[in-house]
Amino acid sequence: MSVHFVTREIGSLAKPPWRVKAFAGRPLEESDFAAAEEWGRRLEVDGHETLVEGLRAGSLGLPEIDDWAAFYAIRLLERVGLDVVYDGEQKRTEMYDHVAAFAPGFEPRGTVRSFDNKYYAKAAVVEAPSVPGPQDVEEFEFVRAHTDRVVKVPLTGAYTMEDWSYDEHYGHEGGLGASAEHRFDARRRFVHDVAVNVIRPNVEGLVAAGAEWIQIDEPAATTKPDEVPLVVEGFNEATRGIQAKKSMHICFSDYSALWPAVMDLEDCLELQLEFANRDSRELGTKDEDRPGYADTLALFKEHGYPGVGLGVLDIHSDFVEPAELVRDRILYAIEVLGDPERIQVNPDCGLRTRSWEVVYEKLANMVQGTRLAEDALS
Amino acid sequence: MRAFAPGIYPRSAALVQATRDLERGRTAPEAAAEQAEDDLRELVSVQRAAGLTFLSDGMLQWQDLFRPLADATEGLDARPLTRFLDTNTFYRAVLVDGEPRLRNPLPAPDLPAGEWVGTLPSPLAFARAARDEVSAEALAANVLAPQIQAWVDAGAALIVLSEPFAAREGSADELLRALDELPAAPLALQLPFGDAESILPALAEARVSVIGIDFYATSLGALPSGFPKEILAGVVDARSSALESPDEIARFVDELSSREPAAVYLGPNGDLQFVPEPIAREKLARLGQASARLAEVA
Repeated sequence: MSVHFVTREIGSLAKPPWRVKAFAGRPLEESDFAAAEEWGRRLEVDGHETLVEGLRAGSLGLPEIDDWAAFYAIRLLERVGLDVVYDGEQKRTEMYDHVAAFAPGFEPRGTVRSFDNKYYAKAAVVEAPSVPGPQDVEEFEFVRAHTDRVVKVPLTGAYTMEDWSYDEHYGHEGGLGASAEHRFDARRRFVHDVAVNVIRPNVEGLVAAGAEWIQIDEPAATTKPDEVPLVVEGFNEATRGIQAKKSMHICFSDYSALWPAVMDLEDCLELQLEFANRDSRELGTKDEDRPGYADTLALFKEHGYPGVGLGVLDIHSDFVEPAELVRDRILYAIEVLGDPERIQVNPDCGLRTRSWEVVYEKLANMVQGTRLAEDALS
Repeated sequence: MRAFAPGIYPRSAALVQATRDLERGRTAPEAAAEQAEDDLRELVSVQRAAGLTFLSDGMLQWQDLFRPLADATEGLDARPLTRFLDTNTFYRAVLVDGEPRLRNPLPAPDLPAGEWVGTLPSPLAFARAARDEVSAEALAANVLAPQIQAWVDAGAALIVLSEPFAAREGSADELLRALDELPAAPLALQLPFGDAESILPALAEARVSVIGIDFYATSLGALPSGFPKEILAGVVDARSSALESPDEIARFVDELSSREPAAVYLGPNGDLQFVPEPIAREKLARLGQASARLAEVA
């Protein structure tokens, strides 16, 4: 039996220090030039000397620096051997703000505590949001022009946009003392409008420009378990009838809440989920060796969901998963699901909280471990 | 009409920056502490200007609802991050590594005796944060009871116990047993960000005088007529940036009063830290305006 698992990343990578400082208006230091030089050489980025010279001379505009960051990220993902790549979301501020700042109807409201002394930006929807055209076509075309690998475009999903926003439009009037149905209806209308008038135009534009794979990111999918049907509606409304591969990424969530609602996802190739974060670091392919995988894979099996994007790298740790650990996680998943065709391989989530050095090692081992699993099956 | 705002209040942009700078070694602890004092002075001034009945210190130094109390308790420690309900804000779960016992009570806020309200986790919330590795009753008896007593002795007019989990679980039995372990004191039980309908009848028997209800998650019809407790009506939505209309609040409270609870206080439906500080400040002002409007009518 010859098996090939498709390997890919999920979304964001950290931005190089020279990109961060340039956009923050802070002076670049020798270490920044050295980083551009070192990674340019290591990744064999064509013309990286031009970047280094431009950074030293201060002669590059921000759009050029953005392009270089994306170019470096694409090369990194190629060099580690991934089958499917993007640009590490180098040109986006952050997955929520990227959309909220673009779509009329959202207005920034300030920052709110995430935990301890960490804060995140939050916007309010003040009228039905809509966009004048697709948001990410230019970004996609840049990636398409700089790689011959398969390209997968990550997009923030409608439900997550709704859940992470303040609502000053849909449910505000008459909210005090209102029924649960009133509140649910307001949220549903919000999700619908984002899916149809914000996400879908982008999906249509991307596919018209040649995108072959759209990944909808819904990290908020299970924060309100009884609203998982809204996640599904948002996906379907944003992608229905679109001729491209479509998948959904969800992470750090209670996956048991996804079923049975996700069975109504239309033409969703797979659910790419985080598993490694919950797993042991010991080798082995028995149930007890793989506590992070057993329960969720059992749900895939029980409900017969067609495909799983198997998270095999913990993105919250610098621990570099040995290739053999990646191999065992894949082999275990096959043992549970009984069919290698249902499995593809990825990190738990975007790797933006890890250094490029760690990312490189993790992803390289992920690819190597995947090949080991293929060998074992052959 | 009496009004107050318990719970965690958002830090100002200046205090957020000061705490970040402190973490990165860019400022001295004294400078961050000074900014925290400025924030507190400002918060007190905003509450006074709004005419609120009780003052709160906004728990400006608290990282989350549990941490300072867990840090002050033998046998408890901080654990990994855990999502707070269905928000995008996280708290440190509580690690139980011994018999929990409060070492020294947390100091009382620097506010005039008899005029301030303090906020603590309810015993059930504390137990849930500790993943039930210790019972709510034990936490009530050995941690919360001495803390409550210390604050009452220091001049607290009311202690609000924040209970975000019970309404979602739909059961109050365990909570009621734990509340029985607390000393006789002016206590409120607030149920932030949840539909309280399923447990309201049981809470009529709770050993607290005030029940806080989130009326952005609980329909008015859920409140039994003639409810024997005072109600802290969550009429300002701490999870929404939209500003409430004082007139709408006043109309709602009229309706609420027609159900004849023992008494009504006005407040937010949970910690105001879920909106940025300038919005929270405006919400406090509107809370005060609604309260004044109702007082005029009365």
